[in-house]
Formats: sequence, structure tokens, C-alpha cells
Amino acid sequence: MITWNRAYRGAHLSLSQRRWLSKLTLERLATRPVQSYISTSNNPYLNLSLEHYLLQKSSPESTILLLYVNRPSIIIGRNQNPWLEVNLSLLSPAPRAATNSEPELAGSFLGAVDLVRRRSGGGTVFHDEGNVNWTVICSSKTFTRDKHAEMVTRALRSLGVERARVNERHDIVLDQGERGGDVVDGADMHVTPFTRQNAASRPLKVSGSAYKLTRQRALHHGTCLLSSPNLNVIPHYLHSPSKPFMSARGVESVSSPVGNILLENEEFMGAVQKQFAVMYSESRATELQEVGLEWLENETVGKGYDELNSLDWTYLQTPQFNVSNAADALASTDVQFTVRNGTITAGVLRSRNNSAFSQLGEDSVGTRLHEIAAWSTALPRMFTGVDRAECDKLATWLESVLPPSHKTAGHS
Amino acid sequence: MSFSPNTLLRALRTSKASSRTRVSFPQPLFYRQLHASSRLDVVKPFLLADIGEGITECQLIQWFVQPGARVEQFDKLCEVQSDKASVEITSPFDGVIKKLHYEPDDMAITGKPLVDIDIQSEISGADAEKLGGVDGNEDAGAEKDQAEESVRHDEKLAEVASEVDVAYSEAMTKGSQGQARQHRPRQGREDKGSLATPAVRHLLKETHVDVADVQGTGRDGRVLKEDVHRHVSEQTQQPVAHQPSRAATRQDKNAPLTPVQTQMFKTMTRSLDIPHFLYTCAADMGAITALRKRLNASATSGEQKLTHLPFILKAVSLALQHHPLLNSSLDTKDPKKPEITYRGAHNFGVAIDAPSGLLVPVVHSVQDLSIVEIATQLRQLSDKARNSKLAPTDFSGATFTISNIGSVGGGVVAPVITAPQVAILGVGRSKLVPAFDENEELVKKEELVLSWSADHRIVDGAECARCAERVRAFLEEPGRMMVEMR
Repeated sequence: MITWNRAYRGAHLSLSQRRWLSKLTLERLATRPVQSYISTSNNPYLNLSLEHYLLQKSSPESTILLLYVNRPSIIIGRNQNPWLEVNLSLLSPAPRAATNSEPELAGSFLGAVDLVRRRSGGGTVFHDEGNVNWTVICSSKTFTRDKHAEMVTRALRSLGVERARVNERHDIVLDQGERGGDVVDGADMHVTPFTRQNAASRPLKVSGSAYKLTRQRALHHGTCLLSSPNLNVIPHYLHSPSKPFMSARGVESVSSPVGNILLENEEFMGAVQKQFAVMYSESRATELQEVGLEWLENETVGKGYDELNSLDWTYLQTPQFNVSNAADALASTDVQFTVRNGTITAGVLRSRNNSAFSQLGEDSVGTRLHEIAAWSTALPRMFTGVDRAECDKLATWLESVLPPSHKTAGHS
Repeated sequence: MSFSPNTLLRALRTSKASSRTRVSFPQPLFYRQLHASSRLDVVKPFLLADIGEGITECQLIQWFVQPGARVEQFDKLCEVQSDKASVEITSPFDGVIKKLHYEPDDMAITGKPLVDIDIQSEISGADAEKLGGVDGNEDAGAEKDQAEESVRHDEKLAEVASEVDVAYSEAMTKGSQGQARQHRPRQGREDKGSLATPAVRHLLKETHVDVADVQGTGRDGRVLKEDVHRHVSEQTQQPVAHQPSRAATRQDKNAPLTPVQTQMFKTMTRSLDIPHFLYTCAADMGAITALRKRLNASATSGEQKLTHLPFILKAVSLALQHHPLLNSSLDTKDPKKPEITYRGAHNFGVAIDAPSGLLVPVVHSVQDLSIVEIATQLRQLSDKARNSKLAPTDFSGATFTISNIGSVGGGVVAPVITAPQVAILGVGRSKLVPAFDENEELVKKEELVLSWSADHRIVDGAECARCAERVRAFLEEPGRMMVEMR
């Protein structure tokens, strides 16, 4: 059970109970050559801010391991499009009633799920308490994409997960199927006794990676699906109904079938720590330093946290994209929006039956997409001279494709 | 205080970008000597370094600078994103940003310019060597081979960028050892104070000679290349005697690719995608040879003598009027929707064997040129190639390539098409062969083998064969060319 897991000790502490973190401690911590941290918080914004702080402030030759577990949240890549990657209508605490096409969702939605845009690249992932996140920060001179994926695979294999290997995309997968006859080199992290060229079933992805590279430092972080209770629900969150209607630049997620490894969080974290120590500190057990909410006191961490929390960062960092209902055969009016930096820069309504059309009103240019509370009221304001019934039809369509964000400022 | 050249040169060496004198280290690329009196601000394009993993382009996420912004070495320029990695690119120099080549959300291409920087730092010997040219030939003239230089320059800038900036893929870890090695001379440079141009310093580095040991005979005690060579030969007179040279030749030698080889490697790797088919035919060059003999006899100077190549170029151009498919470009950026563009101009790339290797400068608009004009152009291009004076514009815009290996030898060749062209013609060496004429008598024929390669995704065998036969007909009966000329 999670409640008595050591990592969550601090999660329910109130502001007054937070430990005081002295500046000296931070500075001392940042200079040791090998550092291991574990987060006591399950706040995704905090954990990602801690990660970023460690990337920016640690000494250039040091190597750092950070382990953390987040509450249910969806983390999108630095340059991704939340409307395209995530079914935003499911994120609100009380989502609209499950449609007829998804009856299994009724009653099993997860309540409030955070939406976070991280600072590293890559695709969209779903975090929950059955998923452990690991981060390694090292010098960019010695960095390779496989190095730490192999380290985690070694950790998994040491716990008996012999199906684990690193694939060509630097993800960790579990080979499916029967054991093959060939003898396989145990030290090779890219092949297992179960690997075969034309496997009957695709390997299951258990860990995805993303990177952030600066001049001197390289950050590699990855997930690890240990025992997520939500595997059947995740595909609904990560499948956006707006996909056929959007054309976007930016990195698209590559979806893979996923599976649980079925280990305990603590087991896994211990094994990763051990492999990290073997790699970097000649097996001397490195002291595992706890980090948590108290680090918000630090100005840099605090600023990073506020930025990640802000709706501007989450929504306005989206690369340019177009929304159009051209693919919707049932619509009687074409609507098309161009959205740049999360704001609507152009829009046009064009009737399919006659030549009527209306362009986006001047004052509506620059409307932030995530600030639209309801399309039924927003649409008539944006376009003048449009028939009310048409407007309503379009508003209904837009509500499903570009769901209004339920969050107002400040959510933690 | 008199401003003697000495003082100024010393000021040059020790001044930083922020000092009042603000002189920049001049590029050996364009200047033969140090001009102590002029202020040389050089605007250079900073290329997006190869970020490894076979990634050719990445998306620009945000800029941290704007044109006009002053940056210092290692300041962040921008953030780019490629599949899973988001990378911060930092500036390798101090300077002022002049131009940004991309908007946010654009795809930036590796190896192409990212920003233009007005470089105002003193570029160290190591940097200048990387930017200025590998063989440091300061005697080769003030204007070097600009095209070669820009290729080399681009490679070097890319190297500088990768060395100073993020180096993180497996390929780059090897480069990082090079980085460590090259950083040391850069730090050593400031202490020297000895007068030696970057070219000479590069030679010093190559021959492992300390500049302090060499007696300079140039102006103001400057060390020249001859001094270094002399020093080296003095040093090695004894050791040379007992160097078993035979053992040395049997050892393997690793060498990096020269700039021309690198470019060839890149281009030809791209050409691997093209399914080539070869079509050869032999043309009887008797008529052309006779024509040439007559014309050259009345030529006033050696300059005006015609070879068979201009005739071949014109014949091909006339044939392409009937077979425009062979002069088209194939765009396979979207593999599901390939596009052919029929090119209006006949720009023929003519492969030349230059001292530095294979170069393919372009003769533009052959359809509008007379044979004499084509010959003049060819002569100019080969002169420029020999003297390493080809400009980048001389290489751009080719729609068809002709490779004359006949100057060296050869019968049938299978030339490799350069993307995005769809065909190429290889010309062998003409030789005398026995043949039968229309009376079934044995005669001497001068035969030239023409080898056509075409992209079988676009061109079928019959079309290529028809074009080839048309060219052959033109060459065997030059009168046919005359009646088709405009």
C-alpha cells in the first residue's frame, strides 16, 4: 500500500510543518560528485521543478540521480500540443458525462488529473502512483542516450525481470512470447532470451525516455510502469478526439502498447540506486537525500514551480496549429482556426450550402484558447452575422474538439 | 605614443572584445597579412551542429536572443527540439547577433546556418584555424578557393560548434577527446606573444614544434612557414637516418575525410536511394573530329581550340528539348507524394578532376549558348578549378550532369546520379576500332562510348534509350545539330 511508503511521509505536511532547508545545505549538496535524491512529494510540478533546479545548479562534473512518484497527472513534452495529445474534457474533476462510445469510462475516471508541460522533449506520458520516475543528470561530455536506460534495465534484471531490454528508440521494453533457443549474452542490455526478429506479439513498453541537453549538462529522465492500476483507462486520456481535425507542427507522440512490470516501488527504487552507485561511486552506498516541499523556499525552485504551474506555460508554448472541421461530413458550416502560441490568430466560418462567410472579429484575435469558458457564448462574440442555429451547432462541435479548460489560475 | 606596427600588433593580440581598441583578429580566409590599422568585423553564419542520432532537422522552440543582441561565448542562443531531446544551443563566440535564420516552430536543418553572428572576440589561433582553412596556405594567394573554402569553412564551423557546445551522442564522445586536445593549444596561445599567423601556428601544431624554438626571419621576427620547415628538417636530420621506412609503409593509417571527400560522401549516400539503370551506346566521332580539325586549323590562338566536349554538351541539350523528362528534378521530401519538376533551363554540371578531388561546377543555360560559348565557359571553369577559385554559385543549380572520364581513360562507366537530378551521362575515351562500313569493308572508326544512367523511378529504359540515340545521331552527323539550333 502506498500510504506507509516512506516516500510519502511529507506529502500531507502543511506549510508550517515543512522542514527548514538551509542555504548551506543546498550549496553543499550541489557540489558533491555523486548525488542521489528521492522526493517525498507527489506533486508533479514540484518534482519537475526540482529536477530542473538540479540540472541548472549542480556542478558540471557531478552526476545526480533523482527518483520520484507523481499523483495522477499527464505530462506533455516541451513542444507538444495539449489539445492534440490529451483528451482535455476528461481532466476536470467532474467531466461531462461519458459518451455512449465510452461506457467503460463511467464511474472509473480518476478525478482531478494534473496537466503538466515538462521542459524536456519527447511525447506524452501518464503518471500515477504505480509509476516511478527516474532522472539522471550528468556531464554532457560523457552522455549517451542508452547509458542510463541500460542502467535501469540492469536494475530490473537484478530483480528478476529478465524480459527487460533497451530498444532502438532508447525505451525499455519487455519482450513477449516464448524463450528462444539461442544463448544470449547476459551483459547485453539490448537483447533478452525472448527477443526474436518476427515476434508474434510486440514487446510491451514499460519505460519511455526524454532528454534535455544544455552546454555542459545532460538530463535523461524516464518513467517505469511498475504497478499502475489505470492501464485500461490511460488510452482514453491520451487519445484526443480532435486528432482528425488538427494539423500541427511539433513532436507527435509515438504510441506503444504498455504493460506493468509488477514490482513494488521501493524494490525498484532500491535496485536503481544500487546500480547508480555501482556505476558512479565504486559501490560505496551513496546517501539517499530526501527532497520535498521544503525546497520551494529556494528562489530558483520556487520560480520554476510557478512557471510550470502557470496556464501560460502549459498552453501558450504550443507550436502553431490549425483546427478545421473539414473532415466532419455532417457539418453544414466550415470553421477554421489558426492558433499560434496558444492564441487564436485567425479564424473563418464558411457555409457549405451558400457563399456566406464570416471572419474572426479584430478584437477576438489573440484570444487565448485555454481561457474560453464556453464556446456557446464565445463563438457569437468572435463572428458577427452568423445564424444562431449554425453557431450553436458549431459550438457543440468545438466543445468536443477544443474542450474549455476547467482550471482557473492557481492549482497545485 | 607612436603607433608603430609592433605596438598595434601587440595590442591586437592582447586586447579583448570589450577594450576600446576593439580590433578583431582578421580572417586568413580573406586577407594575406595582418592589417593592424583596419577594424575587421566579420559576420559569419553559425551553423546548426550535427546533433547526432542521424537527425537532419529539428524544430526551433524559442529564441533567447534577437538581432542586435550582444552575446558572449556560451550565452544561450536558442532551444531546439528533436524527437525526444530538447537541446540548448549556445554561442561559440562573443559578438553581436545579426540575423536569425528561422522563426519559432520552423524546422532547422543541421549543417545549415542558424544565426549570423558579427564575431567580435579575438578568435584564437585554434578557432581561426578551424574557420580559416586546413592547410593554412598563406602563399596560395589572398583569394582562396572560395567554394572549397566555404565547404571546409562550413565543416570547421560545424566542428567548432559541436566542440564548444553540447556533445552528447556516441559519435560526439569521440569528438570530445578531440575537443580536449584542441582546447589546450587555445589556452596556450595567449601566453606566447610570438608573431606567427594562424596558418603558421597550425603548421607548428602539426609538426609538434614550439613556436619559441623557431627563429623567425619574417618582418619583426615573425615566424614564417619556411622557418618552420627549416627547423623541422634540422631537427630530423639525425632521427631520419634510422627510421625504418619500410616498416612505416606497412602500417595502417587512419585519416579523416577531406572536405571534398566529405561532401562526396554525403551526396553519394543520398544517391543510394536512386535505382540506377545503365544504358550505353557508342558514337562514331569521325564527323566531329574532322570538323574540329578544320576549325582548329584556322583558330588563331590555342585558347580557341575546340575539344569534343562542347559538341557533346550541345548535342545533349538539343536532345533534351525532345526528352525534357531527363532534365527534370525529383522531389521526394514527401515519400508518398513524389513530385517531378521539369526544369526550363539546361544547367549542366560538368565533372572536373581538380587537384583537391572531384568537383562539379555548372555551365548554366546551355540551351542558349553556342558551342563556342560553351567551350569558353568550360575553359574558364577548369581554370578556376585548377586555381581553386570556384565560387559557390558555380556549383548550384545543376539539372543534368556530364562526367568526362575520357580525359583519364575508360570505356563503359556507370556514373552515379546526384539527387535531385534524374539522369547523368558518362563520356569515355574515344578510341580507334575496326568496323564495317556500308560496303562491308573494314574501316577504321573512332568510337566514343556514352554511358547514360537514369533514375528508373521516373525514367524508363526506352525513353533514356531514345534520348541517347538522338545524341548519337547528332554527334555522328553534326549537320543535324545545326538544323535544330535556334
